[in-house]
Amino acid sequence: MSGIHDMGGRREEFGPVDKSQHELEDWERLADAVNYVLNAKGHKTTDEMRRAIESLEHYREMSYYERWAAAAETLVVEKGLLTREEIDERAAALERRWENG
Amino acid sequence: MSENGHDEHGHEHPHEESGHEGSPWAARIRAVEELLAERGILTHEEVEAQIGYMEARSYENGARLVAHAWTDPGFKELLLRDTKAACSQLGIDASGTVEFVTVENTPTTHNLIVCTLCSCYPRAILGRPPDWYKSPAYRSRAVVEPRAVMKEFGLEIPEDVSVSVHDSSADVRYLVLPMRPPGTEGMTEEELAGLVSRNCLVGTAVPQYKARERASS
Repeated sequence: MSGIHDMGGRREEFGPVDKSQHELEDWERLADAVNYVLNAKGHKTTDEMRRAIESLEHYREMSYYERWAAAAETLVVEKGLLTREEIDERAAALERRWENG
Repeated sequence: MSENGHDEHGHEHPHEESGHEGSPWAARIRAVEELLAERGILTHEEVEAQIGYMEARSYENGARLVAHAWTDPGFKELLLRDTKAACSQLGIDASGTVEFVTVENTPTTHNLIVCTLCSCYPRAILGRPPDWYKSPAYRSRAVVEPRAVMKEFGLEIPEDVSVSVHDSSADVRYLVLPMRPPGTEGMTEEELAGLVSRNCLVGTAVPQYKARERASS
């Protein structure tokens, strides 16, 4: 059985290749880097990361680095490094701080 | 990049992919990074260093490998046999656990690289993959109708040339050694490298000499 991520050959579902490029945002660079650092320090592996990405409920609706950010969060919670509650709380505080400029 | 360094990375450019700027994941990944740093699991410095490492990588490393291989048969042999060793010879740090394989275009075979499962790409050499490489359309179609996909990039491979598609994995990442265009015999290595675009290294383009601008890539 193919997972949501296993796209090879599913040409009927997709049209022409969109060749536009978006400029990476700071949070996307951060998502990329946090993942690499956690891997490099042995806190998670590429295979665990892939499993976490491929099991995301909203995989198709998410942008590339949204998947990375979400999967990193899943893994740090699974491994007991952080709790979902403290991430929720800190993210809400950051949003408030950013809104108030 | 600084905490709020919005000027340093070309943020004045228009965003072509919508719905990202207001992503809820922007705050969540920052929250994760801050909390991990507070627990001593990682440091801001390590994260910044990793960002710098990726920013410093670009397809130009690949263009240098290709141009050197075009001018030095011994180096070409090394590149095809042991890509990591070839990188190291040019001062490109491609160390790490990932394997790199260089595949050579010939008059009878054209190579195209894809990662159907995600986005595996020789990042340590070429930097981050372009958005289209990660798109569902490219990932799904490159393996079943590579000629149609390449045509969308303005590349038509003659019918008598076979197309070989390489599906990358987390452990093995491919790059293409394109053919040196005719008429470039007198060019310096630097000039030759200038003929090699990023798409040439993935197989959605081939180096052109005195050709009109490749408008589609």
